[in-house]
Amino acid sequence: MIIIMAVDALEYEKVEEFNCRNLKQKCYGKTDISEFSQPRTMVLWSSFMTGKNKEEEVLRKGDKEMWNITWGLEETLFSEFKSPVVLDLPGFNYDKKVHDKSRELLKKFFDAKDDEEKRKIRREYNNDAFEHHKKVKQDFLRAIKEKHDLVLGYFSIADVIGHLNFGNTTMMRMIYKELDEIAAEINSKGKLIILSDHGMKPIGVFGDHSSYGFWSTNFETKLRNPRITDFYDFIIELKRKQE
Amino acid sequence: MNHLDRLESKSIFIIREAYKKFRKIGMLWSIGKDSTTMLWLAKKAFYGRVPFPVIYIDTGLHFKEMYEFRDECVKKWGLKLIVSKNYEEAERRGIGPEAKLECCTVRKTEALKKTIAEYKFEALLLGIRRDEHGIRAKERVFSPRNRDFMWDYKDQPPELWDQFKTRKEGEQHLRVHPLLHWTELDIWEYIKREKLPVNPLYFAKKGKRYRSLGCMPCTSPVESEADTVDKIINEVKESKVAERSGRAQDKEEANAMQKLRALGYM
Amino acid sequence: MENLKLVIVGHVDHGKSTLIGRLFYDTDSLPEGRIEEIREICEALGKELEFAYVMDHLEEERDQGITIDTAQTFFRTKKRQYTIIDAPGHVEFLKNMITGASQAEAAILIVDVNEGVQEQTRRHAYILSLLGLDQVIVVMNKMDLINYKEEMYDEVKKELLKFLESININPTYVIPISAKGGDFIAKKTRNLSWYDGPTVLEALDTFKTKNSPRDKPLRFPVQDVYKYDKRISVGRIESGIIRVGDKIKILPSGEETIVKSIAEYMKENVMQAEAGKSTGIVTQDKVFVDRGDVITHLEDLPVITDTINAHIFWMDKQPFKKPERLLFKCATQEVMCSIEKIERVIDSSTLRLLRRDADEIRNREVADTVIKTEKPVVVEDFNKIQELGRFVLQRKDTCAGGIITNIQKE
Repeated sequence: MIIIMAVDALEYEKVEEFNCRNLKQKCYGKTDISEFSQPRTMVLWSSFMTGKNKEEEVLRKGDKEMWNITWGLEETLFSEFKSPVVLDLPGFNYDKKVHDKSRELLKKFFDAKDDEEKRKIRREYNNDAFEHHKKVKQDFLRAIKEKHDLVLGYFSIADVIGHLNFGNTTMMRMIYKELDEIAAEINSKGKLIILSDHGMKPIGVFGDHSSYGFWSTNFETKLRNPRITDFYDFIIELKRKQE
Repeated sequence: MNHLDRLESKSIFIIREAYKKFRKIGMLWSIGKDSTTMLWLAKKAFYGRVPFPVIYIDTGLHFKEMYEFRDECVKKWGLKLIVSKNYEEAERRGIGPEAKLECCTVRKTEALKKTIAEYKFEALLLGIRRDEHGIRAKERVFSPRNRDFMWDYKDQPPELWDQFKTRKEGEQHLRVHPLLHWTELDIWEYIKREKLPVNPLYFAKKGKRYRSLGCMPCTSPVESEADTVDKIINEVKESKVAERSGRAQDKEEANAMQKLRALGYM
Repeated sequence: MENLKLVIVGHVDHGKSTLIGRLFYDTDSLPEGRIEEIREICEALGKELEFAYVMDHLEEERDQGITIDTAQTFFRTKKRQYTIIDAPGHVEFLKNMITGASQAEAAILIVDVNEGVQEQTRRHAYILSLLGLDQVIVVMNKMDLINYKEEMYDEVKKELLKFLESININPTYVIPISAKGGDFIAKKTRNLSWYDGPTVLEALDTFKTKNSPRDKPLRFPVQDVYKYDKRISVGRIESGIIRVGDKIKILPSGEETIVKSIAEYMKENVMQAEAGKSTGIVTQDKVFVDRGDVITHLEDLPVITDTINAHIFWMDKQPFKKPERLLFKCATQEVMCSIEKIERVIDSSTLRLLRRDADEIRNREVADTVIKTEKPVVVEDFNKIQELGRFVLQRKDTCAGGIITNIQKE
């Protein structure tokens, strides 16, 4: 089985700082996303699953519409697999309601004038993120126990929580530890690739996307500073080698 | 010697040390309770004659009570006042409080840079305290800043036994912090003991008072009934909310919002 | 409120953060909402509450200009307030640890009972010893992991005390604890019913805040001389008491005079000033007084010498190499010096002897040296009067601290 843990905004520096051994696995490094004008989530995951730079196409939809993009199975690397499970991946099959709401709350937070109101919004926003995380985690761990040739789980918690709390080291340490524990639980279940779209950097207590991503594998590879589109061929080749 | 005596003596030692080592020195005076306490300590250190100028950064956005208080103290204490300002530029360029970070930079940082250059200050006395802010726990008493005011807190020279960094290098200037070891509570207890003048903004009116003073648009009062120094002391003793909570966040928030917008989140 | 400055040291992962978090939690000293936030996240993620998280703001990695609500570095007991001094455990931060520990009045040395004495246990304990800290609590942490068994505790305690004795530390208390479980921090729990000593908080409350040594001989290092309507020699009294009418001596010149008055702003008729006080004196006769002079009484004098035996700990990446000259600063005295002899160099973590009769001292090494100052200085044995028995050596910045062990009289 090939397992992909797709973690939004997993920051290389934080993985190092908190020394998340299981996220680092055997080989790890930064990805090169310098070909993109901005580290946008939808652009990066779209490019990842199709193996092509999709920036222009995504941006053409505009800031609002881009979140509704869904690529057809045949355009993605998942079509190469017999029984793939893909959980909640943006641009493919993510839970639009949940993610729309979190962006809505984010906007509401910044629009709010009153501290008390901000606190309330932040709390709802964080709670939603945790709830959603628990659900994806459960589905992910279940799928890994079943018979599939590919399981991809998309974890948004580091990104969602990070945007409002990245400067809160306590909180981020707890999130990274949680992700690290998930990685520990699954790393013996197959070929595991952990990949992020971009990382994150602080603006005070808030978080902004950083201009590189993170990758790691539980097996030896020749990857050094790969582009996010390189994973398309990399994963298909990995599958062929397994057969 | 009690607790306040010890704090006072240490601060006086630091102020005298700074004055001995740097002739081109000034004291930043924000009109707030901390720097006013520091000013009083300087009067004690030099027997009533503060031998260096006090610098007031006028952002053009302060409360009128602050200006009044300033002029009163200057007169009563015989101070040499330098008003450092750059708000004309801010106004010319239309930079107001909604620009948050930039507003601070232009009205405060740039103003101070100009003043430092004009008077060739080698050292500045500042009334910051360790308990104000997480990162201030790492401050040294004598702390070098480069020309751009940058502070390399990860690689600071050791500071022990009141032996300070008293040599400046190149375009550095030294920031000297005589109140670093005081707490908010210490300050109020000392104000009470020494009967220091207190800006009326600190006292509660209609259920609200200011816990720290700054520019009008970016300072908000806290809920409080404390309208005397004694009541404030009690309030501070009970309080578990940080003094500056909610202050600096505004700037970052604006910055973050901008970034998120660029990423298509809003 | 009375305040005691406390430094908590020990090997990485022996539970420093958890202990600090627990101290804050058990004394109800956390900023509002902080623990709730952590508890909520732990619950949301289905995890146990971890106290180590509470104290992130005391750690190095918290910093990037963060403005979250974490300014709290104080905790309070009924007796007094405690300030925890930032003392990072990491090797590179030794100079920060020393900066912190040099201000402390008491120390807690934390040891994981499962691991015993480790590299930083040794290093930190050694620094405490060099700095002359004598109010020390040793806590043996993680008792929960050995099922609170007395035997293993006794064994590790024995080994530890032997080590501490070798570096002249005699801990006031040794306390078995579980910072995670909250045993014997604030509460006596049944888990350790065989132990009949105090809790950590009880032990701390027995310590004394450091009183300036008013009962010792007068040492008044002159900081500056102000020529107002009177000539006032100002400075901080480091030990003893000075009174109006006292016969005094100005060292190193040895000139004698009498204290005519003690000058304090807005105060008349001040008759005395004691150790710790920043003050000023006016003398009867016109004597030559300058910064760096030390004023004493006529008896019980300090030593005037240009040759000093001292332990120095080097805290700069750039090593000392003979025959470099350095600035020697002791109280308000400043004079150039050279390190004439480096008798022994010790690795501050293994405490192993590295070199004898050396030419070089590197970062994080401690050396027994003979220092030669260019002019005579007024000093003391560290054990007699600390304030004149310690010094720093500077290039542009402080690169070493030193403790005077043995003075050679001229």
